[in-house]
Amino acid sequence: MLKRWIKVLSLFAVLSLFAAACGSSDSDSSDSGSSTASASAASDDEPAAEEDATEEEAAEEDAAEEATEETTPPPPQPKHGGTLVIATTQVGANVNHGVNSGIGIAQPSSKIFASLTHLDSNWEPQPYLAESWEVSDDSLTITFHLVKDATFHDGYSITSADVKFSIEVIQANHPFTGMWGPLESIETPDKHTVVLHLATPHPALWIATSDVMMPVMPKHIMDDGTPINEMRGHPNNVAGAIGSGPFRLTEYENTQKIVLERYEHFFIPDRPYLDKIIYVIVPDEDATMLGLESGEYDSGGYASVINAEKVSNNPDLVAIPDLLGGVGSLNHLQFNMANSIMSDLRVRQAIAYTIDRDYVINTLHQGQTMELLGGIHPSSPFYNENVERYDVDLDKARSLLYDAGYGDGLDLRINYIPGPNEQQRNVAEYIALALDEVGINVEVVQAADLPSWAGIFFGGPDAWHMTMNAYFNWGDPVIGVQRAYVCANIRPGVFVNNSAYCNEKVDELLYAAAAEPDVAKRKALYDEFQVITAIELPFYGINALPIFGANQLYVRDQPDGAWGPLSGMENIWLDK
Amino acid sequence: MTDLGIAIDSSTETGGRGAFRMFLRNKAAVAGLVVFTFIVLVTIFGPGIYGVEAHKMAAGPFLGPGDDAGPLLGTDYLGRDILAGVITGGRTTLFVAAVAGTMAMGLGLVVGSLAGYFGGWIDALLMRFTEIFQAMPSLLFSLVLIYLMGPGTWKETLAIGLTLWALPARLTRAEFLRVREMEFVKASRAIGSNDLRIMTRTILPNAMPPLLVAATLLVVIAILFHAGLAFLGMVDINTISWGSIMGKNRNYTLTAWWTVAFPGIAIVITGLSIALIGDGLQDAFNPKLRGR
Repeated sequence: MLKRWIKVLSLFAVLSLFAAACGSSDSDSSDSGSSTASASAASDDEPAAEEDATEEEAAEEDAAEEATEETTPPPPQPKHGGTLVIATTQVGANVNHGVNSGIGIAQPSSKIFASLTHLDSNWEPQPYLAESWEVSDDSLTITFHLVKDATFHDGYSITSADVKFSIEVIQANHPFTGMWGPLESIETPDKHTVVLHLATPHPALWIATSDVMMPVMPKHIMDDGTPINEMRGHPNNVAGAIGSGPFRLTEYENTQKIVLERYEHFFIPDRPYLDKIIYVIVPDEDATMLGLESGEYDSGGYASVINAEKVSNNPDLVAIPDLLGGVGSLNHLQFNMANSIMSDLRVRQAIAYTIDRDYVINTLHQGQTMELLGGIHPSSPFYNENVERYDVDLDKARSLLYDAGYGDGLDLRINYIPGPNEQQRNVAEYIALALDEVGINVEVVQAADLPSWAGIFFGGPDAWHMTMNAYFNWGDPVIGVQRAYVCANIRPGVFVNNSAYCNEKVDELLYAAAAEPDVAKRKALYDEFQVITAIELPFYGINALPIFGANQLYVRDQPDGAWGPLSGMENIWLDK
Repeated sequence: MTDLGIAIDSSTETGGRGAFRMFLRNKAAVAGLVVFTFIVLVTIFGPGIYGVEAHKMAAGPFLGPGDDAGPLLGTDYLGRDILAGVITGGRTTLFVAAVAGTMAMGLGLVVGSLAGYFGGWIDALLMRFTEIFQAMPSLLFSLVLIYLMGPGTWKETLAIGLTLWALPARLTRAEFLRVREMEFVKASRAIGSNDLRIMTRTILPNAMPPLLVAATLLVVIAILFHAGLAFLGMVDINTISWGSIMGKNRNYTLTAWWTVAFPGIAIVITGLSIALIGDGLQDAFNPKLRGR
């Protein structure tokens, strides 16, 4: 009996030793972690200075390398072959960005379908399927000359009729209605010339014709009697899609992986370099990190501040500070104004007065994200920070709720778009806690993946009250902002005007701004738009959402244009 | 006739009293029982005594256990009190484990006793059915069920209970097969007891000891299952349980170990105490140890 007792005691002793050992090692690492965090919080200068130093060192090293390379053999020549494995958290409903919007769709779409132009890092158009173009003096007529021997993946040649058809499909289906708004007519004088006639000057045209925005689709396959506004359901958007880009779609399981293979007869000779691109859908960002660290994935994106720190400390990975530069991703709370409770401005205002934006940015995000007040990305030249901020005022919130008839409390639901926890789930949970203070009881509703979250937009006015959503700017406000606010875009769909917000004055401002070639006047129009919408609250802006990326060292010539990895990737190659 | 029946039925009673004495002699099991009782009491009365609401922000986020500004066991990414979370979260975890364990045990008893008692085609049919469930990885099966039903405490309980019954079903069948051919069962049948009476009053008490041990094991498995599901984020985000605290904070394991460690320790201690109780039960019912 005594023996048994001693056995048990010793077991406990061993267990506690183990726990203590774990505890101490963990606390060591946590100490270092929290000290760096507090250092960066205390003074922004120090870590920044350190970064500069390391960058300089890196630059020096690069210079040294270049110097030696000049004397010895020339810089590494791009090599053919290899498979690029990209981990992504994003799932798309199809692979054609001409009929739907979303990162999960844009990623494969930009490889499978070619566009008229590329956008370089200065947002200037560069030749792609269009080898040259002319713009008339009044900016109302644009003539594109297509590459002569371009073919679709089934061997049919790409002609001006396909381009015309593709623009028509995009106009009829894509949520970004602003892209082609001023287009009056399309002429196709010959097989390789497309002439666009515009009603008004259209500064955003060069975004509309670029990479992800303008997939050139095969008319001979898609124009098969399917009504033009129902192209979203066409089979050429999923497995077996015939495209015009550098890669063919060979395998498509939209929640698991997408395999793209080199198209041998791509219209740019000797491209693409890669044999294969595989998108592996990894819903968990930490799994992406582990895969990158182990070398299982060649490239990946993530949005958490913690992982960003991890990558920058890993010498085996190349950190990309802003993976989706052109996308301009936003994080905001969206209200369902079709719902009888949320249509009351006082309720939305009460919510806005309760949420502490500074707490989210400085505490939850450790000061690593940018404040967002409206629908336009803070880095955009059109951003206006002089708008209603709804600084925290709980008494005002309570009295607004009382006036609205909810003095006894209110039950609401908040859904959140599946994504990085730090940005979506944690903020949704915080909002639920904050609203509890003013008598609003909030249930946080989680969704397993993007499509099941998006289901709320098809469930009628009572399917949702609020959702943490992430509309992206997609370059110009005409594209990414206008769609979420104009009355005409209140329709079933995702990333359209899901708030069901409608204000004629706002419509007027947005349409005027879309056609205004003068930048200063344009800014004035967008400024006023932001002032109005910040008060009326179809959205409550929280923060700009950073998307970081990481590549293995051997991934070379990562696309550096405005769309980054959302462009054709015909130039990327593997140095191994 | 009835006299004989009662004598047979009550033959286990004296065994039961002896078993309790045996249990008390196993000090480890008694320690397990004490710890487990303490944990149950804490989850029932603790939240009221401690007075901090687990789902509310108590202080700044990521305060360590030693931090003066924060509560005793620190805070998570939203500044919620970990100690309050552990105390309150135990309710959900223990509730789910108890109900799911009972459910699995009940299902297993019914299926196993029918199969073991009647044999023949009933046995074949029920055991093939059980094998289907045994062949599936149970955690995966639970995940699928939750995916289909949606999260929610009762649904989680159902999803766990429905996947764990194959083990007790197999065990019950084996015990019934063993006991059903014994003399006293034949005697009971000879005096005209019907099937139900034989199954519930004659065989079951004699098959009980290993099943009781299995039941404690099931509860431990159910705790771990619920923690696993919660860790994977497949449980109701609005309900606090030990697993969900760990799951929500798992991204911060390296930067804020306390957010994951304390609920984890709670799970380990609870599981260990129940396992010790089970161990004691096994000893108690083991005739070879009697009279030692």
